[in-house]
Amino acid sequence: MKRSATPFAITVAVLAFFYLPIVVLVVNSFNASRFGGEWSGFTLQWYRKLLESPDIWHALGNTLTIAVFATIGSTVLGTTAAFALDRYRSRLQDAHYLLVYAPLVIPEILLGISLLLFFVALKVELSYVTIVLAHVTFCVSYVAMVVLGRLQDFDWSLVEAAQDLGASPWVTARDVVLPLLAPGIAAGALLAFTLSVDDFVITFFTAGPGTTTLPLRIYSMIKHGSPPLINALSTLLLALTTTTVWLSQRLLKEAR
Amino acid sequence: MPLTSAIGPQHHRSFEQGERVPAVSDFIQFENVSRQYGAVRAVDNVSLGIAKGEFFSLLGPSGCGKTTLLRMLAGFERPDSGRVLLDGVDITELPPERRKVNTIFQNYALFPHLSVRQNIGFGPTVAKRPRREVDEEVDKMLALIQMKDHADKRVDQISGGQKQRVAIARALINKPAVLLLDEPLAALDLKLRQRMLIELDMVHDQVGITFVFVTHDQGEAMSLADRVAVMNHGRIEQLGRPVEIYEAPQTSFVAAFIGDSNFFEGVVAEVTDVEHVLLRIDGFDDLRAFNDKGLHEGDRVFLSVRPEKIRISRDQPLGGPDHNTTRAVVDDVIYLGTHTRFWLRAGEYRIAVEQQHNRFVLDEQPIRWKDEVWLQWHVDDGFMLERYAESDEALMAIPPQRVGESNGALEDGGRG
Amino acid sequence: MAETRGLLERRHEPWITLPSFLWLVVLFTIPAAIVFAIAFKPSDPFGGIGAGWTLHTLRSLGDPNYPAILWRTVWLSVATTALCLVLATPTAYFMARVAQRWRPLLVLAIIVPFWTSFLVRIFAWKVVLHPEGPLKHALAALHLVPQDGSLLYHSGAVLLVLVYTELPFAILPLFAAAEKFDFRLLEAARDLGAGPFRSFWTVFLPGIRRGLITATLVTLIPALGSYVVPDLVGGPTSEMLGNKIAQRTFSDRNLPHASALSALLALAVLVPSVLAIAMSRRGEGGRGAKP
Repeated sequence: MKRSATPFAITVAVLAFFYLPIVVLVVNSFNASRFGGEWSGFTLQWYRKLLESPDIWHALGNTLTIAVFATIGSTVLGTTAAFALDRYRSRLQDAHYLLVYAPLVIPEILLGISLLLFFVALKVELSYVTIVLAHVTFCVSYVAMVVLGRLQDFDWSLVEAAQDLGASPWVTARDVVLPLLAPGIAAGALLAFTLSVDDFVITFFTAGPGTTTLPLRIYSMIKHGSPPLINALSTLLLALTTTTVWLSQRLLKEAR
Repeated sequence: MPLTSAIGPQHHRSFEQGERVPAVSDFIQFENVSRQYGAVRAVDNVSLGIAKGEFFSLLGPSGCGKTTLLRMLAGFERPDSGRVLLDGVDITELPPERRKVNTIFQNYALFPHLSVRQNIGFGPTVAKRPRREVDEEVDKMLALIQMKDHADKRVDQISGGQKQRVAIARALINKPAVLLLDEPLAALDLKLRQRMLIELDMVHDQVGITFVFVTHDQGEAMSLADRVAVMNHGRIEQLGRPVEIYEAPQTSFVAAFIGDSNFFEGVVAEVTDVEHVLLRIDGFDDLRAFNDKGLHEGDRVFLSVRPEKIRISRDQPLGGPDHNTTRAVVDDVIYLGTHTRFWLRAGEYRIAVEQQHNRFVLDEQPIRWKDEVWLQWHVDDGFMLERYAESDEALMAIPPQRVGESNGALEDGGRG
Repeated sequence: MAETRGLLERRHEPWITLPSFLWLVVLFTIPAAIVFAIAFKPSDPFGGIGAGWTLHTLRSLGDPNYPAILWRTVWLSVATTALCLVLATPTAYFMARVAQRWRPLLVLAIIVPFWTSFLVRIFAWKVVLHPEGPLKHALAALHLVPQDGSLLYHSGAVLLVLVYTELPFAILPLFAAAEKFDFRLLEAARDLGAGPFRSFWTVFLPGIRRGLITATLVTLIPALGSYVVPDLVGGPTSEMLGNKIAQRTFSDRNLPHASALSALLALAVLVPSVLAIAMSRRGEGGRGAKP
């Protein structure tokens, strides 16, 4: 059967669409011209300037700290949620599933404003703590879905086999369930980490005055700052993302 | 070894002979166990005794309760009511890790994150046996299953047959009192299945422990087991040695599930002597049958005759009081190499007959479609059923009368 | 489902359920309820929430400004979703049919932008569409846009960048569905006389129906709530509901008003979600495609 060339052409166009702006951005980060309209020579000065901006490094530090706490919290809660959803069928789990699923299909801005109003209503001062609470809340759902997907492929007869061979519930959990699910849990944690690092909207609503994270910093740079610096920063972030994606793909492959 | 074991006492009037409560001496005892899933009675008041060292098989279609019964013995399921005893001790409430019972799982359930060696050593390791002792035991097992060269491979790097051997070694290293096998051959292809069947038999002879084997494949059950319990709808339909089950099926389910059979419905016309009755069945001259059920004149009966017990011939065979002889017209002839299957019509009945080719077929004048022929069987080869259900006929491999009229058994892919 | 003994028995259910359950009730359900409650509160002059209850805030949504913004939000989101589906479906089809060894690479090519910082991807378009940027120069040289025209700060730019940010989210569920599709069905359709387009339309699309529903939801809902894209590449004439919510929250500090707008957005999101659930329920009835 002769295959139509249209899907191929569209796929190529889509990939070009995806990468064109990214290439322009990366190229411009090495462009000596301030506005990037034309090429005025190769330079690393924007990267040097970036290294010399302490506020960016400060923001990055905050972002990573928030992400570490958010990842730990959401991985624990998301994993237990996935186990509960996978193992039990009850009214409680129907409600539980709705609770876990809803944050995934609600626009970020609604999550952001509702948390802001919640903290205002409780008279909680906005700070890094409120950001972490907000991040855990939306990351739980993602972790739960990733781990749940893994659990659906999980062969529960292995648990029975372990018990059959004399392993106590605790030994079964430690020696059989956790090692087999570790790649799935790690993939969920990695997703939570990147979501937390990248989040702008929810952070924007739950951050107090003076609080800053990398996305908040980038946003204000886009609004008021110097484009070449953002080019350089974006290129670094892209390199980081690509490495992370590559790593996570390897993790998932190992899980199979 | 006890040959007659039991079904619960209250089921069928006609079962009252030969049934018994499991004897105290039985190694494994199920006492009136039941298990319900929602509206389905997976196991319905089953009592059963299994002797020490026996190779026992639970046979039945999927959903008949055989696996649930096995899982109760392993400890993965709790019965809603009733008790499970092992060597006289009530183990109903004992968790699986504390039972001297090990299982070969349907897909083997080998740990994918551990090597062959670590899989086999799992039991002794969690039992906190000294490291050196575990290694020695594992080496012995590896030698036994001839897999020393594969000890450090991951389980996804070995073949299906090797996986089964590892699963057996992983169970046997714990020196269980009973080995449970949950359809262990289902995942293998036909050739390998036949080889592993022989291996299982050898393992049983070597270790001499009790085997409880669950299968839906009558061939596996027949060839391996000392005794078979045929299950249907959570109950035991019949219990006995393979030959008893096949030669003397008590119900239409057993007759149809294990091999094929012809069923005739009629009434007892006359009790001719102590052992035989004369039957009146529409469309036939008086047929005689062996009366092991103590039937009386006027009783309604269902007669079952296996296809290979009926002889087919062009010429009228010699009669005699020991034989039933009748005329029939050939509907269909299917040549199957080792034998030929005939479908014949006699009165309202469609009769299946199987003829072994123990002579050179090409020299004979073959029986063809529409030929009028003679059928004959020995009166002792007809069996009166204790229970008959028309739906059981769907279990057999009867070809459709017309395209589209196929029966359920064929669409399920038939049975082993 | 068989219940395993020892590990995660029935009696363990509350212990493993409650941590995530309570967390989400406190930090998701209660805040969502608060949004609806505060919409009925008056504002106070210090940017907080006043005492008592009022319908004043809700009434102010009748302001002629809002229907225009709501309408723009809806059409931009629907257009974004439609464009995403039109581009993503053939791409997913191609990815599912391409030789096995190319597939991981293609998936990676889709995932990298999916994982790339959201702000960076928007900023990249700001660079491309910049008045002094390469695209503007090229188009102006071809006389396709006037020399002093702008590629930025209007609804067209917002639509373009929305499609760019949402497209990977549309491709991935469609690819997952297409990968499970039995392509022999297409051969059967061709064998029975359907042309390539007709078999794509009557066999392939119904076959990936669940993927289409998911893709629609994951593009439409974020588009309806988008705030950053119109904020960075749009102008005053391309404001969306999200911009207004942020504006009321941060610039005007009128939280009741922001709540009322959020409640409106929540309702706008609820409609397609309920529709999608109803549609996938109907799909489970096992009805085949109509020829």
